[in-house]
Amino acid sequence: MAEPVQLQRMEPAIDVSEVRFRYSASGPEVLHDVSLRVEQGEYVALIGQNGGGKTTLAKHFNGLLKPVAGVVRTMGVDTRGPSVAELARTVGYVYQNPDHQIFAQKVRTEVAFGPHNLKLPPEEAARRVDEALELVGLREYADEFAFSLGRGLRQKLAVASVLAMSPPVLVVDEPTTGLDLQGSRNILDLLGRWNADGRTIIVITHDLALVAERVPRTVVISGGRIIADGATSTVLSEADLLGKAFLRPPQVTRVAQRLQKFGIASDVMTVAQLRAQLRLALGE
Amino acid sequence: MPVGYSIYVERPSLIHQRIDPRTKLAALGAVFVLALAFNHPAVLGGILVLVLLAAQLAQLSWRSLLPAMVGSLWFLVLSLLIWPFYVKGGPSLFILFGSTISVNGVLFGLAMGLRVALMVLAAGVWMMTTSPQKLTVGLLRLGLPYKAGVAMTAAIRFVPLLNAERITITEAQQARALDLKRENPFNRAVKSIAIIGPLFVRSIDVAQSLALALEARGFAARDGRTSIVQIGMTTTDRIILIALAAACLLAIGLRILGIGLITRAYL
Amino acid sequence: MADSTSEEYVIEVQGLRFRYPSSEREALAGVDLVVRRGEFVGITGPSGAGKSTLCLCLKGLIPAGELSGRIQVGGKAVTRQSAFLERSALVFQDPETQIIGLTVAEDLAFGPENLKRDPDLIRAAIPRMLHEVRLDGYDEAETYQLSGGQKQRLAIADALILEPDILLLDEPTSELDPVGKDEVFEVIAQLRRKRDVTVVMVEHAAEQLAEMADRILVMDDGQIVDQGPPHVLYRSAATFHRPDGERAPQIAEVLFGLLQDGLIDESEFCAREEDAINMLTDKLSRHHVRLASHG
Repeated sequence: MAEPVQLQRMEPAIDVSEVRFRYSASGPEVLHDVSLRVEQGEYVALIGQNGGGKTTLAKHFNGLLKPVAGVVRTMGVDTRGPSVAELARTVGYVYQNPDHQIFAQKVRTEVAFGPHNLKLPPEEAARRVDEALELVGLREYADEFAFSLGRGLRQKLAVASVLAMSPPVLVVDEPTTGLDLQGSRNILDLLGRWNADGRTIIVITHDLALVAERVPRTVVISGGRIIADGATSTVLSEADLLGKAFLRPPQVTRVAQRLQKFGIASDVMTVAQLRAQLRLALGE
Repeated sequence: MPVGYSIYVERPSLIHQRIDPRTKLAALGAVFVLALAFNHPAVLGGILVLVLLAAQLAQLSWRSLLPAMVGSLWFLVLSLLIWPFYVKGGPSLFILFGSTISVNGVLFGLAMGLRVALMVLAAGVWMMTTSPQKLTVGLLRLGLPYKAGVAMTAAIRFVPLLNAERITITEAQQARALDLKRENPFNRAVKSIAIIGPLFVRSIDVAQSLALALEARGFAARDGRTSIVQIGMTTTDRIILIALAAACLLAIGLRILGIGLITRAYL
Repeated sequence: MADSTSEEYVIEVQGLRFRYPSSEREALAGVDLVVRRGEFVGITGPSGAGKSTLCLCLKGLIPAGELSGRIQVGGKAVTRQSAFLERSALVFQDPETQIIGLTVAEDLAFGPENLKRDPDLIRAAIPRMLHEVRLDGYDEAETYQLSGGQKQRLAIADALILEPDILLLDEPTSELDPVGKDEVFEVIAQLRRKRDVTVVMVEHAAEQLAEMADRILVMDDGQIVDQGPPHVLYRSAATFHRPDGERAPQIAEVLFGLLQDGLIDESEFCAREEDAINMLTDKLSRHHVRLASHG
């Protein structure tokens, strides 16, 4: 968006420190001593099977859940203080199913809901709405009936309505569920552009092939613990480790690892990389 | 977090397995009749003991009855604090806020608390011992149309589902800085559309998907249907039903005669 | 395969057109399709292509709207007036809204009870069906406690207990996490090995579809725009290998690239992971030998 994010000191965007969490006093602990630091401007994928704790952890970022022990700070602010609505200025959270948030008749009104709740001056709100619609490519739909949009466009609308609040940190839960390949790529490209402006993005997803193509850092959560955290190319090529979280490396990585004896690199992650490797091996 | 469909707990007890759901429904009705027929704490207390004995026979743990008992205790205390100011008679005990508190007042307060406790506990024990499926089949046998039976099951099935939807929608809108608590009443009403709207749309989606799934599985494809759940009245059921009927008639008779009452002035 | 009589085809669709009342566009715009007994047909394509509408028609649940053309399932014409179609069963996408029973056994019994089957036979079928979908011992489990993958497997058992010849699956894995997806794919693959059931499966997961399907159809704008066995279909540049194309298995994308580079030929192209690994292993070994002998 227009103005660059103001980087007040270099606080980490998300700083999770030794967090433990249980849903009720008598319930089982679902996060065990989790620590995670995400710097401002990073683009991070959170992966792992359902029930492993990804969403529980992500809901700590915007204060929807408060740690039972340990501390979560977003942009330096302890999440135990402010309400979720107040934290919404700092952390945007896009839910998986756009139908869980679309309520307004017109696309524009829907996007304006967040800025309006933040009590922004009307001109400022209108400007942000226009910018958000432009960014997701919904400008021409601004006056359309929100429910009449297809699933892919509704997903973009959900993203736009959070972007319009211009949060420095954005959490996106499963943005590609129910979308075809093109729809999925569009959403991830959109997040990439937003990230290029210096904002922090955390995406929760199962689509490892798209993570391999687009997201530089990957965190694997399983059984309420972070079991891997690092460069996507390193994390996704460790089949044993992914297996612990019931995940598999992308198909190209699996194939590359079976062809290692012919000199194919084992950390191949994308179609383009495997093609290049094979071209080299079969070429000369 | 999982939300149970019902508070039914499966146990290998006589009450769970052997007694027809229709009999259990009748027993619940009978307890209500008895609870309303008497207003003497000794009688109501006695019936309460019988209900607790039934719970023991049904192998229900005290722990599972605790919520109902704690809730009833509240009523008991409340009732003991209020009724003595209204019900007079019998030896006087003391004077409070210029009002004479008498023995009958205290006893009646106790009785009204026990009456609520009795009804709550009986309903609780009934729900914990009657599976929703068997109850549905029982009601069908009593003449409920089978489409209504399926609608009932569907309703039980979809309460937790729609509740989960409501929670997710509320969270999604909070994340868009919606804070209903901080709005004035007018804005709160206007802005709750952000939660009611999506919930309404999701409910319709869910209902449509369900209708299609029911149709795909042959719902209403034939006249009537079979059922794998078997229920049937046994001699035990008949004996229980006769005993219940006798108890109710007796209770009504005693009520007319004024036996088992603290006062005739109140129900 | 040999020439086929019409009994070999369990599904025959001719010139099927359908338009929903609220829409100007046709959801199905002239679909012709035959499916052979025992065949596994995958259907893929962007959302709004008409895949779900086609599934509903094949289950005999023709939605309200304008319909023309001919649908035959198991040799019998399917119309709005047809009685409940027992030859095909349909599993939907959403695990939450197709399970009606409060317990697993109750849910399984729901379909056959509606069809007035004998309660004793239904009770006997329940453990068999649970075994087929690897939910042994779950009879009395409450359905809300099941995971997404377990719910979808139960939905498959709900379909199978009606003893259909044709199992229709409309995106049964798209709401599931990778574990749930794998569970469902494994159950379907195992089913295919054990029974002579015809499967029509709408699915976006190209890699799994390529492993299982005999033939894959690509739908777009209400029509079948491309089709073939995986090792032929996924070579189609117009459908898959363009910027806004459909998703092909990653390995098919790689091999398509090598095909263009002239490093493999069309007969070597494949879309299944093991086939590709074998082909590449073979090719790389020969290449090494050749290099060594030249060197």
